[in-house]
Amino acid sequence: MIVIAIIMLYPFWYMIDNAFRSGNQFDRQSGHSLSGWHELFANLPVGGQLLNSALVCAAAIVIILAVSTTAGFAFAKLQYRGSGTVFLLVVSALMVPLQSIIIPEYVNLAKFNLTDSYAGAVLVYAALGTPFATFLMATYYRGISDDLIEAAVMDGLSYERTFASIALPLSLPAIATVTVLQFIQIWDDLLVGLLFLPPGQRTITAGLATLAAGRTTDIPALMAGSVISAIPAIVVYLIFQRHLVKGLTLGMGK
Amino acid sequence: MSRIELESVTKRFPDGTTAVSTLDLAVGDGELLVLVGPSGCGKTTALRMVAGLEEVTSGTIRIDGQIVNDVEPRHRDIAMVFQSYALYPHLSVFDNMAFSLKYRKINKGEIRARVLEAARVLELETYLERKPRQLSGGQRQRVAMGRAIVRQPRAFLMDEPLSNLDAKLRVQMRAEIGQLQRSLGVTTIYVTHDQTEAMTLGTKVAVIAGGELQQLAPPQELYRRPVNLFVAGFIGSPPMNLIDAVLERGGTSGFSDATGPEVVFGPHRLRVPPQVIAEHPGLENYLGQGIVLGIRPEHLSDAALGAGDGDAVLKVPVSLREELGSEVHLHGALGEVAHGSGPGADDVRSLATLVAKMDPRTAIEVGQTATIAVATDQLHFFDPLTGASIRR
Repeated sequence: MIVIAIIMLYPFWYMIDNAFRSGNQFDRQSGHSLSGWHELFANLPVGGQLLNSALVCAAAIVIILAVSTTAGFAFAKLQYRGSGTVFLLVVSALMVPLQSIIIPEYVNLAKFNLTDSYAGAVLVYAALGTPFATFLMATYYRGISDDLIEAAVMDGLSYERTFASIALPLSLPAIATVTVLQFIQIWDDLLVGLLFLPPGQRTITAGLATLAAGRTTDIPALMAGSVISAIPAIVVYLIFQRHLVKGLTLGMGK
Repeated sequence: MSRIELESVTKRFPDGTTAVSTLDLAVGDGELLVLVGPSGCGKTTALRMVAGLEEVTSGTIRIDGQIVNDVEPRHRDIAMVFQSYALYPHLSVFDNMAFSLKYRKINKGEIRARVLEAARVLELETYLERKPRQLSGGQRQRVAMGRAIVRQPRAFLMDEPLSNLDAKLRVQMRAEIGQLQRSLGVTTIYVTHDQTEAMTLGTKVAVIAGGELQQLAPPQELYRRPVNLFVAGFIGSPPMNLIDAVLERGGTSGFSDATGPEVVFGPHRLRVPPQVIAEHPGLENYLGQGIVLGIRPEHLSDAALGAGDGDAVLKVPVSLREELGSEVHLHGALGEVAHGSGPGADDVRSLATLVAKMDPRTAIEVGQTATIAVATDQLHFFDPLTGASIRR
């Protein structure tokens, strides 16, 4: 366990340690300074890019949650013709790697003039995240007793209101899980950010990549940016950690 | 208050399974009809069709004369108590009970008054702020009842509401549900597999097996005049002794004379009293043929403790004695008995056993041959082929 912990934590230590060095200190691997931070803030609009990341993440997650909770509920609780086949199609979308569809996605969005905009990136993130989120939500809703749903229907609620009043509040652990996993995935993504966002709207991850785009790379500045970039993901994880564990173990028995 | 009628109701699932077959039932205003039967007999499916949670394949369901086959559950104005209680885990007891009222846009004062009144009746006043997970099984059951009561619906549907409770609590809650239903006077359909619940609660009891109605009658009628072998074996605890026997002419006199027919099984012969023959005129058609004889365990007694007038006597070796405190169950072997009628029927034989529900003072022990008195005026007779009671 200790060995595994060291292997997992060393990159974090390396990142934090080297964020507080200058270029020379990094080469010598001795001494600390705030030089890397000065370089970072001088070369990158960090605040704006963090805001871009937050906007793209929030919008994509809202869409993913809206689609996956309703679709998951429908797959789990509403028996209709062909629901099994459709669910299988959704699950099979999990197996499609982003890289294999990124060009067709770009072409499709270009037809609607949605490239070089928040909307394009948000839609791509939402499309990529929805299959897994729907699978997770459907699995969670299957674990909710049918009796509860039927009791609400007998109490006079439509299926829409049953979803909103009973299923949704009960699925908060699963919603938290989807939120955390999608947040980390979208926040850390580089490819979509680089392809679909113009320089002025770049996310922090895409922004950091530009630091490494020249002939030389300012490693301490990059490390400092990585520290800043990692903080929101860690904070979100810590906030939802309890629900995340509950959500990830759902469907594993009583 | 309302009347619920099922007319030739059939439920066939997509896989071809027929859960309910041409079911005819009627529950009068304020009545409590119990649907009872073994697991998988279709009783819950029938209840769910009344609720609107299952579609009816054919037939009609009427509530107050209105056909409701295509009416959504929420528009049927029926409250249902589920086996699992189905309490909303994220809501307090108060909110669980008030839930349906809020969606019916009833004003807050009225909601509060109704919930508090139901809580008072169900002794839940001190638990109103708790979540369901903080309640015991019995309390949860009461909340489920409360949720149904506050709605003041046209009818209650209850799907095995006591089956998750321990034996003692079940008896207590059974009595409370009975009292509550009578005091509210709401038409109720109650599903259970427990015949004691069925007999104690029901104004009428419908015995269902294999998706088909076997008998619909008041509890005493079911007990006294079961229409077939299934009902005879299902109602009563321990169940009725069902013995393959042959009906023989006793003496030389006529069928209904005092010396009239005897039921013969193994080495045993029981004379059928004239009043029983009068109640079962159809028996005459079975002279010389096989029948199934039914004797309830409680109609057998220890002859040493005094037999009733007209009781016959059986000598039975006792193989098991079960002490239940207020009664003793004796199990005995009747010996080989002949089956059925027709050529070669006598060749088919089986070892029949008898269970007797005795006074606890009985001194009969295992290994002894008991002298058991049979109340022959309480005998039942069934056709061995159709299983139907032989009466007319």
